[in-house]
Amino acid sequence: MVDTLEFRNITKYFPGVKALDQVSFKAFGGEVLAFLGENGAGKSTLLKTLNGDYQPDEGQYLINGEEAHFKNPHEAIEAGISIIYQERQILPELSIAENIYLGRMPSNKFGVIDSKKANERAAKIIDDFGLPLKPSEKVKNLSIAYQQMVEIMKAYSRDNLKVICFDEPTASLSDAEIESLFKIIRKLKEEKKIVIYVSHRMSEINEITDKVAIFKDGKYVTTKVTKETDGDELIRLMVGRDLGSVYSELDRNKEIGDVLLEVKNLSSDYVEDVSFTLHKGEVLGFSGLVGAGRTETMRAIIGADRMLSGEVYLDGERIKCKSPGEAQKKGIVLVPEDRKTQGILANLSVRDNINISLLDMHANKFGVISKKDEDEAAVKGIKDFNIKTPNPEKKIVELSGGNQQKCIVARWMATMPKVLILDEPTKGIDIGAKAEFYSMICEFAKQGLGIILISSELPEVMGLSDRIIVMRSRKISGEVMREDATEDKLLGLGMMEEN
Amino acid sequence: MKTGKIKINGNILVLIIAWLIVVGVFSGLNRNYFTTTNMVNILTAAALVGLVAVAHTYLIIELQNDLCPGSLCAFAGVLSALLVTNFGMNFWLAMIVTLVVCSLVGMFNAFMVNRIHLEAFIATLVTQAIIRGFAYIICDGKPVAITDATFIAIGKDRFLGLPISVWIMLIAFVVFGFILAKTKFGRSVYAIGGNPQAARLAGLNPQRIVTISFIMMGIMCGIGGVIFAGRMNSGQPAANINLEFDAITAVILGGVSFSGGVGNMLGTVIGVLLIQSFNTGLTMVNVSSFWQYVARGALLLFALTADYIRKTRNDQKLLELSKKNG
Repeated sequence: MVDTLEFRNITKYFPGVKALDQVSFKAFGGEVLAFLGENGAGKSTLLKTLNGDYQPDEGQYLINGEEAHFKNPHEAIEAGISIIYQERQILPELSIAENIYLGRMPSNKFGVIDSKKANERAAKIIDDFGLPLKPSEKVKNLSIAYQQMVEIMKAYSRDNLKVICFDEPTASLSDAEIESLFKIIRKLKEEKKIVIYVSHRMSEINEITDKVAIFKDGKYVTTKVTKETDGDELIRLMVGRDLGSVYSELDRNKEIGDVLLEVKNLSSDYVEDVSFTLHKGEVLGFSGLVGAGRTETMRAIIGADRMLSGEVYLDGERIKCKSPGEAQKKGIVLVPEDRKTQGILANLSVRDNINISLLDMHANKFGVISKKDEDEAAVKGIKDFNIKTPNPEKKIVELSGGNQQKCIVARWMATMPKVLILDEPTKGIDIGAKAEFYSMICEFAKQGLGIILISSELPEVMGLSDRIIVMRSRKISGEVMREDATEDKLLGLGMMEEN
Repeated sequence: MKTGKIKINGNILVLIIAWLIVVGVFSGLNRNYFTTTNMVNILTAAALVGLVAVAHTYLIIELQNDLCPGSLCAFAGVLSALLVTNFGMNFWLAMIVTLVVCSLVGMFNAFMVNRIHLEAFIATLVTQAIIRGFAYIICDGKPVAITDATFIAIGKDRFLGLPISVWIMLIAFVVFGFILAKTKFGRSVYAIGGNPQAARLAGLNPQRIVTISFIMMGIMCGIGGVIFAGRMNSGQPAANINLEFDAITAVILGGVSFSGGVGNMLGTVIGVLLIQSFNTGLTMVNVSSFWQYVARGALLLFALTADYIRKTRNDQKLLELSKKNG
């Protein structure tokens, strides 16, 4: 009989969000099951509640019909459930064998470690995997792909391994490396393990998985057999409706004006020689992999990071911003990517969060803030941006993610910017709020703002932008007009080169 | 709780009750405790802690701290006494010089925090040692006697029944309480304490705010040290040890959190009253100074535990709320 893993009514709350909502389904040994969903759909959270990193607030896990409960990842590993994360969880200074047998190195009765035995055993696993590695090699000398293999071998070395989960394992692998990873996944499948594979990449899902479990806004939607479905259907299921129509219904700005912002040969510690222009009324998309330098380009422009060389012109005038405060005064604002660490002031109310960038405007010459002005601005922001809050005095953290994000946008729009930079503005917010944001963005463009939209979601970038700049490894790798943009083209420009 | 405004909330109420209990207990143990004279004494003794606690309120809300006030007050006392007694300087001029030097120390603390990126705890431990050292060095280890009439008057004279030092403390509470609650600067203090990164991206200048707050602490220590020296008739290099300990305890008791971003001045006022009533009480019921150390430590532990409980409760509340909102 094959192993089974059942998720039954798993629910998990975080402050402000219901991250998982009554998730129930079953996974079977000998199958590769993909987890598919947008950012924030709950895939990673689900894995973390499975392996005891988080505790579910409701629901149970059943392994082969028996309830399993793990207080921490260690217990889960002991029970045969391992997760291979994007970030390596290995110790670089130790050897391959020592990493594989970490915490359970073979030893004699006095507790003295038997390295020879460990190396022999490790050699056997390495052989099984068909890898050209020596057990005594230090892990820090291995490529990223092999480091990942060590982690897989570590999980594999446990006799009772039942479930192995891969959380976006190919994010930093080359094609050849992906192929050898797939070989190992197939091997695990043949050995009747339950394999869970989290990824955004359709081509990989088609190639390696048998079934696809789809998640949306913390809910489990359905499971499809990979062969019997296609990309369009999967996207429709994970987005909940045809996003195509959301984009086509947008009232787009027809008139793009003069050059508003011009960046010439900008370099910082994180990006090299970036040049582009942004026009009035234009939505300029920035696409590329995480870490390609999109956010870092913007941070250099607004003075959050140091600019090493290059020139920035706003309305034809050369500007230099030493701090985000200065950039704001000149009319360039950035809505940061990570709402929690860079956006909200968790200790303050909705009202204070909206007003924090307007202190100069609302204070008299002695610095005393006018309560009336602030109240009015808060009420206006709440109304204009359709923020759902019982009152302005509510602490911002008590709002849902989408509404928190609206507060942050309201904060920035109140400063009447010329250039609005949005960094992953719809990350982790629900589809309804997303659609609202999209029409907001179009509305801003119509008012003549220049908008820079950084987004990792290709449909979003393609659906909203008039022009798309793609970045790869700290540099601009290409520019695509809206009409010519396809997922393949953007991915091609954004992908790492083979090294 | 709303940060923009001082409101009587549950926390403040608990504090007031705790204070009444402290006063009640010590009054029962020593009938000289609850007298006008003794209450004025408590306020007088509280003046120095109060001034320092005002600045600590700002710093701790900003996720900073300062461990050098004890040293700095002693240093300020010795320096001003030296300038007046040995160099014949006019008292007010000496005061100004002292305040300038103390501001520079505050600036140096801010420099270590902002530019060398040291934790405030560690950075100010550095100045604590150095400044204490200089307090001894400039007077060669011997207390400097004060004979200047104005100097002594500042320490001892009364106005409407209260020593001048108490009035200065009260004014500081009101002025800096107002700034914290009602002004741009105060709001920025809360913002950078809540989330320094977000505050910077929102256009604020966290480093500048931190610098101003450290300078403010320097000035508070300068004023406090001079008044204290006047009261004692001498500048004493060994004075005010553990002053920061009492001030920090008072601030945390008053509802400012070590996790930053919350609290207000009214809490600090009552925290200062509470801790001074406690300390004076212990002395009056003849608890040995050795045991007083233990008691102070226990009180700080109590304050920190209360801070922790407040925080967990708040987190819990948020979680419940998100469950309700679904």
